[in-house]
Amino acid sequence: MARTAGEVNAKKTYHYYDYSMLFLILFLVCFGLVMIYSTSSYNAQRIYGDATYYLARQALFGGAGILIMLFVSKIDYRIYIRKLPIIKLRPITILYFLCVMLQALVLVFGEEVKGAKRWINIGSFSFQPSELSKIAVILGTAFIVNLAPKKLDKIWGFLRVCLFMAPLVGLIIVENLSTGLIIGIIIVSICFVASRKKAYFIISGIVMGGLASLMIFFVDFRSTRIEAWRNVETHELGYQILQGLYAIASGGIFGKGLGESMQKLGFIPESHNDMIFSVICEELGLFGAVALILLFILLFWRIFIIAINAPDLYGGLIATGVLAHIASQVLINIAVVTSTIPPTGIPLPFISYGGSSLLVILFEMGIVLSVSNQIKIQR
Amino acid sequence: MARNRTYNRRNILIVLSVILLVTCILTGRLVYLMIFKSEYYSAKAKALHERERPIKAKRGSIYDINGVELATNKPVCTISVIHSQITDPEKVISVLSEHLGLSEEYVRKRVEKVSAIERIKSNVSKEIADKIREYKLDGVMVDEDYKRYYPYGNLASKVIGFTGSDNQGVIGLEVKYEDYLKGINGMILTLTTAYGVEIPNAAEDRVEPQPGNDLYISLDINIQKYAQQAAYKVMEAKSAKNVKLIVMDPRDGKIYAMVNAPEFDLNDPYTLINEIAKDYVGETLSDEKLNELLNQMWRNASISDTYEPGSAFKIITATAALEENEVKLEDRFFCPGFKTVEDRIIRCHKAGGHGSQNFVEGIKNSCNPVFIEIGARLGAERMYDYFKRLGLFNRTGVDIPGEANSIMHNIDNVGAVELATMSFGQSFQITPLQLLVAVSAVINGGKLVTPHFGLQIKAPDGRVIKTLEYKTTENVISKETSETMKKLLEAVVSDGTGKRAYLPGFRVGGKTATSEKLPRRSGKYISSFVGFAPADDPQVIAIVLIDEPVGIYYGGTIAAPVIAELFDNILPYLGIEERYTEEEQKEYKVGTFTVPDFIGKTKKEMKDLLRVYEFGEIYTLGEGDIVIEQFPLPGEIVNKYSPLVLYYQ
Repeated sequence: MARTAGEVNAKKTYHYYDYSMLFLILFLVCFGLVMIYSTSSYNAQRIYGDATYYLARQALFGGAGILIMLFVSKIDYRIYIRKLPIIKLRPITILYFLCVMLQALVLVFGEEVKGAKRWINIGSFSFQPSELSKIAVILGTAFIVNLAPKKLDKIWGFLRVCLFMAPLVGLIIVENLSTGLIIGIIIVSICFVASRKKAYFIISGIVMGGLASLMIFFVDFRSTRIEAWRNVETHELGYQILQGLYAIASGGIFGKGLGESMQKLGFIPESHNDMIFSVICEELGLFGAVALILLFILLFWRIFIIAINAPDLYGGLIATGVLAHIASQVLINIAVVTSTIPPTGIPLPFISYGGSSLLVILFEMGIVLSVSNQIKIQR
Repeated sequence: MARNRTYNRRNILIVLSVILLVTCILTGRLVYLMIFKSEYYSAKAKALHERERPIKAKRGSIYDINGVELATNKPVCTISVIHSQITDPEKVISVLSEHLGLSEEYVRKRVEKVSAIERIKSNVSKEIADKIREYKLDGVMVDEDYKRYYPYGNLASKVIGFTGSDNQGVIGLEVKYEDYLKGINGMILTLTTAYGVEIPNAAEDRVEPQPGNDLYISLDINIQKYAQQAAYKVMEAKSAKNVKLIVMDPRDGKIYAMVNAPEFDLNDPYTLINEIAKDYVGETLSDEKLNELLNQMWRNASISDTYEPGSAFKIITATAALEENEVKLEDRFFCPGFKTVEDRIIRCHKAGGHGSQNFVEGIKNSCNPVFIEIGARLGAERMYDYFKRLGLFNRTGVDIPGEANSIMHNIDNVGAVELATMSFGQSFQITPLQLLVAVSAVINGGKLVTPHFGLQIKAPDGRVIKTLEYKTTENVISKETSETMKKLLEAVVSDGTGKRAYLPGFRVGGKTATSEKLPRRSGKYISSFVGFAPADDPQVIAIVLIDEPVGIYYGGTIAAPVIAELFDNILPYLGIEERYTEEEQKEYKVGTFTVPDFIGKTKKEMKDLLRVYEFGEIYTLGEGDIVIEQFPLPGEIVNKYSPLVLYYQ
């Protein structure tokens, strides 16, 4: 990158665009739709009398998401941290306060689903503000870090970043620990990448672990989850996980074949949601599951390539944030489904049913593609 | 804008490495679950997905000694609805409620219930089921099934027993031979969703049912019919509470018939019979009370109820005394009408006493003082020894559940008074079957048999699976004593208290009894008679007990004729020939002669002729003087005193 202006002008420069990543994304979204149809058609038929009920809704969000992604990928990502001409505000600041407001709103007016307020209803669609907050956190953290990256060499610099993000993260953590965890991972990853000295990350890692376990063991409904996880075959709350294990294990090496899952027939409640990976295992077997994991790894690889080649630190940090976000969700989801960690509700990116989750992920993909689009190649 | 420095890039690589590391761990976990734990969890999952639908095994039949079916299976149907397959619920409701005789709301509730399969009615006859089938209604399932069916209704109901809702035996032989009869249920394993809905076109696992084996028993349907008829006749004539009648082969213990009147209908065992229900007309019975009454109705009193055998028990006392040489047939006794034992005066049934008599006369008269005397000569210990030998301390081992045992004094408590009363069958209780088995041993040469019904178990293809064997104990008394007892008991019938059991042409032996029920002086009696034939070679033995007869209650008067009537019917059936003695032939006008030719004879001639020939009623037809036709025809051999029809012109 350290070229003189003369050299730049002397050669012809092209804007790079990561088409292989775009292809990966489209493939994942389509694969997700196939699996949504496979897992949800039975329940959709049973409840709504229309086997494509969930598929149609998800396809609508998928289509809209892809358009948004393509649009976002053509916008220079630096626009988010520049002051807008008339209102003299940065888009990131607006987004940040909007998210804080929505998170506060959802705690008061949110629709209660299974004992937690996480949803805001807009017409017939319900919207999860914490998904939007993830974008705000990625862009916001990267912005603050980018202002003074050298400060992150000391722990105070890291705490300063945390302090800025605290209002939003605090509001999320109150009701949704697992999203809080994802957001924590995003923030830490961005700060980690920006810092030159990082002994304090080990310390803060311990502190975070301590806080998380405090939450787990002292907030009642979460500690029973631990109990259920430890005795998954006997505990009544372990039902869903146990059914997931049945599905995964009965898939064997080659699976039962697409659409042949037994466990999706009501045994796994809402098998098109967080537990969708278990049905993928049942139908496509170990081969299918590993293939899907490899697809995700390829995606991570593309994001990594974009992150290290980003034209500036801000672009690299955004890509890192998105990588941390997608990777943590994929890994936590698979860990939960395989009963490796106590159960928590994290959807599998691109695949699980959920409009706002898919929209946000595709939006993030758009940002990463926009970072890739700012990479200039000379010939 | 800050620059993306080298250390930033290295840091991103670290982040990616961590991600890849965790991915590897999770992939490892997946491999573990999907390869090494696959079998374990798949088996559990399969158990969760599969639903067993049992296929009932066909229960084995029960056949009598002639191979007549006593208990069999009748095809019946079960009507069910499958909610998800119903297309026209209103029609289904109306058709089912109409044909099955069920209320509309009852059917509606089941049709509209969201469930995998809902049973509407079971035990529907095949004709009705076929009619429903003809409507070809979607979602209505007609399953064929078997129901236990008893072709003879109430015949030997308490012996055969019946089956419950799961085709399991409830009482009687159906319970005793359950393991042989029931067979092994098969099953269909189908895959269902979590809501119990069967998955169409899924492969079914099917385990075929194995039908049960058939049971062949010694009961003879014809003898049972005769016996039941005789028992009902006397029960009605004497307004008795109940009548028990057992017919057995004394040589090996095969029971030919066992009647416990009133019997109940095996095809409808949960409905109280009139004899019981009439006491509760207009009352609403609690479930508990109804249950109690049903149990009472199903009770096989011949083996489950004990009674004081009374005078019939003198057979046992006499046998013991003869065997121990404590009495000889010519020993003389004197009966003044009572006997004093210690401080007690024990009366004889004949108020004035039988006076002087030998032992043979004593047993013919059924004289109590004679038996008190010989009982005293024996003593309690030897008496109990014979009780034991004759099986009176043990259950007989008959192959029907619910047999009772005798209630005896402890030998240490048997004083002179107890010994005296026991000598003529009082102050202890045994079951009718126990007495029958003991008397059998007395008359069959000293063999204690196990009374039984079951003979053979055969597979549905006719192969013999098992021939049932029963324990017999030889020589419990000597042959000589047995011979003497047979003669004595024949004398009781031919010329004693049992003479109403006398049957011309057959040699019948037996003993009457009239037992007063406890508490004494209540005026309630059990009249009984135990008889056997032929007396010189007993092939059949029977006992009848008439419980609480109204009016005359003497066993000799009312119970003995029951056995006589029964034997009259069954002895020829059993192939026992009539043999008349000369006196009998004279007395009972038996014998045959050839009918002469009367045609052409005049009225006057006939008058003289008929004095010579032994005809009964003479019927004359037509106006005239000459016989032109006669019946019986000339040359026919007819019984003496047969009627004669003559046509004159």
